Amino acid sequence: MKEDLLWVEKYRPKRIADVVGNDEAKTAFVNWFNNANRTKKAVLLYGPPGVGKTTLVNAATHEFGFRVIEMNASDTRNEKAITRVAGPATAFAALDTFSTESKGNVLFMDEVDGIAGNEDRGGVSAILRIIEDSRIPVVMAANDPDIEKLRPLKKVSTLIRFYQVRIPMIISLLQKICQKERIKTEFEAIERIAENSRGDVRSAINDLQSIAETTKMLTLQDTEGLSARNKDISMDETLRQFFSSKSLLDASMLLSYSSVDYDELLMSIADNLPLRYKDPDELAAAYNFVSRADMFRGRIGVDNWHLLRYFFNSLAEAGAVSPKSYEPFTFISPPIRVITLFWTKGKRTMLDGVCTKIGQRCHVSRATAKNDFIPFLKVLLAKNKANNVVTWLELLPEEVEFISKMSRF
Amino acid sequence: MAAEEEAVMWVEKYRPKKLDEVVDLKDIVESLKAFMRNPKTMPHLLLAGIPGTGKTTVALCIARELFGQSWRTFTLELNASDERGIDTVRDRVKDFSRYSRAAFGNVPFALIILDESDQMTGPAQTALRRIMETSSRTSRFILICNQSGKIIEPIQSRCAIFRFSKLDKKAMIEQLCRIAGKEHVKLSPEAAERIVDYAEGDLRHAINALQTASAYKDGVVDEKTVTNVIGEASPAQVQLMIRKALNGEFIEARKQMYDLIGSFGFSGNEIVRQMQRELFKMSGLTPEQKADLADIVGEYDYRLTQGANSDIQLSALLAQFAKIGRPKGEAT
Repeated sequence: MKEDLLWVEKYRPKRIADVVGNDEAKTAFVNWFNNANRTKKAVLLYGPPGVGKTTLVNAATHEFGFRVIEMNASDTRNEKAITRVAGPATAFAALDTFSTESKGNVLFMDEVDGIAGNEDRGGVSAILRIIEDSRIPVVMAANDPDIEKLRPLKKVSTLIRFYQVRIPMIISLLQKICQKERIKTEFEAIERIAENSRGDVRSAINDLQSIAETTKMLTLQDTEGLSARNKDISMDETLRQFFSSKSLLDASMLLSYSSVDYDELLMSIADNLPLRYKDPDELAAAYNFVSRADMFRGRIGVDNWHLLRYFFNSLAEAGAVSPKSYEPFTFISPPIRVITLFWTKGKRTMLDGVCTKIGQRCHVSRATAKNDFIPFLKVLLAKNKANNVVTWLELLPEEVEFISKMSRF
Repeated sequence: MAAEEEAVMWVEKYRPKKLDEVVDLKDIVESLKAFMRNPKTMPHLLLAGIPGTGKTTVALCIARELFGQSWRTFTLELNASDERGIDTVRDRVKDFSRYSRAAFGNVPFALIILDESDQMTGPAQTALRRIMETSSRTSRFILICNQSGKIIEPIQSRCAIFRFSKLDKKAMIEQLCRIAGKEHVKLSPEAAERIVDYAEGDLRHAINALQTASAYKDGVVDEKTVTNVIGEASPAQVQLMIRKALNGEFIEARKQMYDLIGSFGFSGNEIVRQMQRELFKMSGLTPEQKADLADIVGEYDYRLTQGANSDIQLSALLAQFAKIGRPKGEAT
């Protein structure tokens, strides 16, 4: 059973001393924790991912005999949820002290910077209230403390900063793990993994496990694939693999690995469909899926990211309409942006301005002006730029120029 | 306000100033003239009908007949599709009714013309209804819309409704000839016919086409000129795009679509609406085929409202056309 564990869990330190790196932060946190007269009830640990914030909190509470009540980003943290979970825990802390061996409770809110705007409405203010009313210590962790909405939390908390863990410390940690797992290693390979992690201990351990767990061997060569995987797959590479996918599964795996921008990817895939699918039926089917993916993209907007998987599903289907008919072709990339290409903001404003003038003169809306008047005006002006319509509509010279040139780009 | 200078665009220059000059709307005009004789009896009005049939013209005529030269002072013209929201409408109506409180002669109210009012959402219309109530002592509304069905019941019940039907072809030709005569333009009967066919009961469209054509070849408008102008200024390009897609030339059709966006600045929605309109005018398609294609257009019109990128939706729409249009029996 134990062998199935993720190594990051298996080797997660139980004691403060075993937490790697960030000595200053560790001392600051222990001091805060053990100081009964602390001026601020809450502490905010912040720093890049995988450097030991959560680990330190768990180790410290374990060592000092406290119980952790945890909420993290996967829970919805709107006002109600926070008050429901955290409220009673913080209010009745004292009772627990007598009834169990525990010295008390600690409320730990991980990833507070993940409190989303809409879904977790009132989340920050609810946390503030909890901190104010709480009789127990409140610990928070965040990657990016500069988020505007966290500002109120920073005011009421002691701030402790975590840095990336230094590479030599990660190397020695990885070596220890390899020893325990009885893995034969080349030092350069360990070094490579550590460097590649950029100070993120968690990812270093994960990489080590993924490469060496089954073979019990770790050579520099094994780490070659590592850098490739961690590096961003370029748009061209993504397109190449996407269109040559042998199955729906291949296509969706690829999409979840690739780190290219979703919108760029969607547009690039759409642009290349006619080159990929020569058969009209296949093309129509593929476009149908891309169109559906675009609808999901529209519904995602800026905050419904849980819909992303449907977006990827539809997109993957577009790549797997007919694996058999695949033949290599040259991609169109970067994507064609038709509307932005021709219609910059300046041009739009210009057109809108002309439409407004027409609207005022001819008692029509801007939309009607654009649809019913502009096409005729364009022909009129192309014929004669000094047409007296110009003075009547009070068009500026640049507007005349713009309208008469509208057909050429 | 400047004195009324002579308009240069013919749609304005020849827009009737008096109800009596309005063509082809005898019944409506008669009823409205009764209100003009005793303005106190005038209710709110709802003018409904397809574009270019004279709704705005009639509303402006009413303003002129009520207030004469000073009609602009006592009339607020709003266009629902231009205003950002009901709040703007409310503010402007409020401001307006405050400043124009003084009654004019025997007219005890000011006039608010709200064009394209069917563009307003349900909630906005509910708010509008409230505005109509609160300002009813000082203002009368003339609401103009394409489809009266899109106006909520409570508003409809507060208005006298007038329906404007498609203008009569003969009346439109007469009007074009009258304008051509005054502008010293030689308009051939075939050309007039061609313009009217093209305009489909939309007089504004017809007059714009006439003016553009007359600038084309100094003062002579024949059928060929009209065809040219219509070709350059109109959705002939949309038809071309549809044809290419239906011939299975997807890439060509998409190029045509890029052209439309690039040269006319059409949005995705506008192109889809034009496709819908042009589809039914196209020859060489059976009614069943047209219905099938229209169904697809409808689907993608909806998807456009859901989607993020209109290029993608339009391309996908053309791809569906290319699939359907491919002649049966051709090898896959």
